[in-house]
Amino acid sequence: MSDNLTLPAQQGSTAAPAETLLKVEGLTKHFPIYGGFPIKRKVGAVQAVDNVDLTVGAGESVGLVGESGCGKSTTGRLITRLLEPTGGKIEYAGQDITHASRRQLAPIRSEIQMIFQDPYSSLNPRQTVGTIIKSPMEVNGINPAGGREKRVRELLELVGLNPEHYNRFPHEFSGGQRQRIGVARALALNPKLIVADEPVSALDVSIQAQVVNLLQKVQEELGIAFLFIAHDLAVVRHFSQRVAVMYLGKVVEVGDRDSIYNRPRHPYTHALLSAVPEVAMDDETENRERIRLYGDVPSPISPPSGCRFRTRCWKAQDKCATEEPPLVQISGNREGHLTACHFPEDPTTQARGEDVVLDPALKALEGSAEKE
Amino acid sequence: MLLEVRDLHVEFRTRDGVAKAVNGVDYQVDAGETLAVLGESGSGKSVTAQAVMGILDMPPGRITGGEVLFRGRDLLTLKEDERRRVRGAEMAMIFQDALSSLNPVLSVGDQLGEMFVVHRGMSKKDARARAVELMDRVRIPAARERVKQYPHQFSGGMRQRIMIAMALALEPALIIADEPTTALDVTVQAQVMELLAELRREYRMGLILITHDLGVVADVADRIAVMYAGRIVESAPVHDLYKAPAHPYTRGLLDSVPRLDLKGRDLCAIKGLPPNLANVPPGCAFHPRCPMARDVCRTDVPPLYEVSETRGSACHFWRECLHG
Repeated sequence: MSDNLTLPAQQGSTAAPAETLLKVEGLTKHFPIYGGFPIKRKVGAVQAVDNVDLTVGAGESVGLVGESGCGKSTTGRLITRLLEPTGGKIEYAGQDITHASRRQLAPIRSEIQMIFQDPYSSLNPRQTVGTIIKSPMEVNGINPAGGREKRVRELLELVGLNPEHYNRFPHEFSGGQRQRIGVARALALNPKLIVADEPVSALDVSIQAQVVNLLQKVQEELGIAFLFIAHDLAVVRHFSQRVAVMYLGKVVEVGDRDSIYNRPRHPYTHALLSAVPEVAMDDETENRERIRLYGDVPSPISPPSGCRFRTRCWKAQDKCATEEPPLVQISGNREGHLTACHFPEDPTTQARGEDVVLDPALKALEGSAEKE
Repeated sequence: MLLEVRDLHVEFRTRDGVAKAVNGVDYQVDAGETLAVLGESGSGKSVTAQAVMGILDMPPGRITGGEVLFRGRDLLTLKEDERRRVRGAEMAMIFQDALSSLNPVLSVGDQLGEMFVVHRGMSKKDARARAVELMDRVRIPAARERVKQYPHQFSGGMRQRIMIAMALALEPALIIADEPTTALDVTVQAQVMELLAELRREYRMGLILITHDLGVVADVADRIAVMYAGRIVESAPVHDLYKAPAHPYTRGLLDSVPRLDLKGRDLCAIKGLPPNLANVPPGCAFHPRCPMARDVCRTDVPPLYEVSETRGSACHFWRECLHG
């Protein structure tokens, strides 16, 4: 392993444990932009998701992290087929569902469920909790033994709510309790895969922990696979066995939790990890590296050529502008850890000799502060 | 002392009765110091700040007691026009949601310049020049061109920088930042926090940072005040608090954050829900959720016990908490 040996992506992705439940290949979603007067024509496209490969094994929890606008939620919605993909392939349990019709999807719909971010807008305020949790069973014509109402009560108990609250309305519950209702609704059809789109980010810290524990219990006891979409890296590290990092519509790095968090290779993953303020009880913060990126994420309407991260990357060279780096296994990485970078970083999160500060004005400010 | 809040009480009249949002809060901020006020939603952290700024909606809010001493002067006794001169010029506030705090139909230059026109009586042209200067200072690239743009043409991080520029405009002695980075992404959040910290050092301002994010606090604050149900339950220098919390609520908060060494295991969540402010439990408000609660907690409200010279804890059993 002395030279920079790279392996094709396919070999890495087969390293996913257990059997593959969901397989996404080259998934692309472009939202058209219309303009012009009086006849509106397509003038461009928001390249929200571009050529994303992802696998989720049965009973596995995969985290999808990235900043807002990186396409992580769109990916989730494409997988649940709430949005129509522009290109690529979504395979669920060996069946191609990329462009499956309503009828073809019907048997699969009950196996893929979604938990939404906002527990306030994702529950119908005019329906009782019982009706909310019951309706997926009605829509799919499922009659559990002992009746639907009994099942709803079981579900309420499972998610830690009082089954007597069956007839209450969503406004009578707090945010954390509402999110539990959302979880109960997702569990109503015994799904095999749950796409959870920022399930805890709208909740307070102490309530967040309760819901994360609940999801963990659900995942372990019922063996449900999760695609956990979040921007909170600490929560993802806690919850997911594998993690995929997205930037501007692309997966830039994917791998085991430990591999990604302790041995990140992509500069963006590095920067993202170093930007997370850490709750540290001792002095380990002193040894953490600090990378301060310059500016914001570029517009997905006209993303940078080549590597999309190059405009904010401190290692960018000419090659990055012309050639798009493939998502491959880089030498020194564990199996299944794929990185899309021409000039990968050393696998460490320890402090480097000097802080990377890309913001020129910030650098000047820091310089003057040190002189004082 | 730059700012001293003494025994502040704020109530709201709601349909469920009187909600006691702030229940005897004391805190101090010195020039050049950063105080973090930490709490969950409904803990009264923002209401306290609004009362200090004098932007509390009254009614339904009502300040029922206490003093807000700013450079030795009690702001609560000032008339509205006197108060107005203090606000913006001597103390300024940064809000969480920059998009809804900026006027969408005025260019950012007009909004920044307005500070100088209203408070300093400058001409529009001079004010515009100062606006460009300010945008430069908060490091908005191409400030001269962008000064004519409208808020929707800026990204979230840039908008928050404009809010910071606006707060800095008249070089106030105290800045209150209410969840300034909650709406931002982590990489942008890091930029904004760093900018705020650098500027605070440069101008030697006092900074009150209101947040629910324990991580943000650890990075920038000097002191920390933890609020629960309208009261400060623990107050300490930031490193002491993170090393050994002296209140079970603080301990619970720290344990709820996913950490490296605990991954895959259950998080130690605080059980139950924060109390309804119209019906705060008797005794210690935290007792129904507290793992250490005993009989005395149900009847006696704990005062802020002195743990050391620099820290206090409102728990009857702070010794146990500190050493256990």
